[in-house]
Amino acid sequence: MIKLFEGVLAVPMIGTLDSSRTQAVMEALLQKIVDTESELAIIDITGVPTVDTLVAQHLMKTVAAARLMGADCIISGIRPQIAQTIVHLGVELQDVVTKATLADAFGIALRRSNRTIVRMGKTAAAATSDAEPGTGTH
Amino acid sequence: MERIPILKMGQSLLVSIQVDMHDRLALSLQDDLTQQIVNTRARGVLIDISSLEVVDSFIGRMLANIAAMARVLDAQTVVVGMRPAVAITLVELGLSLTGVRTALNVEKGMRLITESGGMEDGAGSDE
Repeated sequence: MIKLFEGVLAVPMIGTLDSSRTQAVMEALLQKIVDTESELAIIDITGVPTVDTLVAQHLMKTVAAARLMGADCIISGIRPQIAQTIVHLGVELQDVVTKATLADAFGIALRRSNRTIVRMGKTAAAATSDAEPGTGTH
Repeated sequence: MERIPILKMGQSLLVSIQVDMHDRLALSLQDDLTQQIVNTRARGVLIDISSLEVVDSFIGRMLANIAAMARVLDAQTVVVGMRPAVAITLVELGLSLTGVRTALNVEKGMRLITESGGMEDGAGSDE
């Protein structure tokens, strides 16, 4: 569980997810939301090799519980294979915000908190290739 | 008989549930709150459940009902301060309270009401 910046949590999930692990993550995340008063949590599943119905259902429950507490969740890092599996399994991700990459989710987090990334001054590289908006640096 | 106090703050009503809810208390809260919304012409209802440790399906449904009743009376409901255990229980019961707005604490809930309620002279505005 990582606090990205004020009000935004990131939860990078790595490895195979089973019920007990997702349950533990769910409880830890909800407690962390209370402790840090975060309004947004990004659950990143880039490091998760497979998703089955049970894991998907657990993710949905986590998102629903976080919403009840007053926080929004974004699920990011969904690899093509997992997107296919989710649809084939018939899992409804209804009104859950999903993003392909963590970078996209991060962009949403910035926008929701009215923040933007600006480049400070000109570096040697930026001086040569001018006229480039300062967003999108990661 | 025991009652849950309903406080008026500007154009909103603040209900803080500090005791464990039993069914009769929940029903009397429903009665009192609808009455108060009409009497005070409140535009927002803030229900603080940060001290609520135990919920069952009845209390969950009551929260959803209160929100629906308030909506009919043209007031919006925000439920604030739900504990993780309570949130997990409600989700497991299949009550995800769709249509009820939520916030992490009273301050954020009040901001939610003032921002979307169009309250010009809101005494609860903290900006």
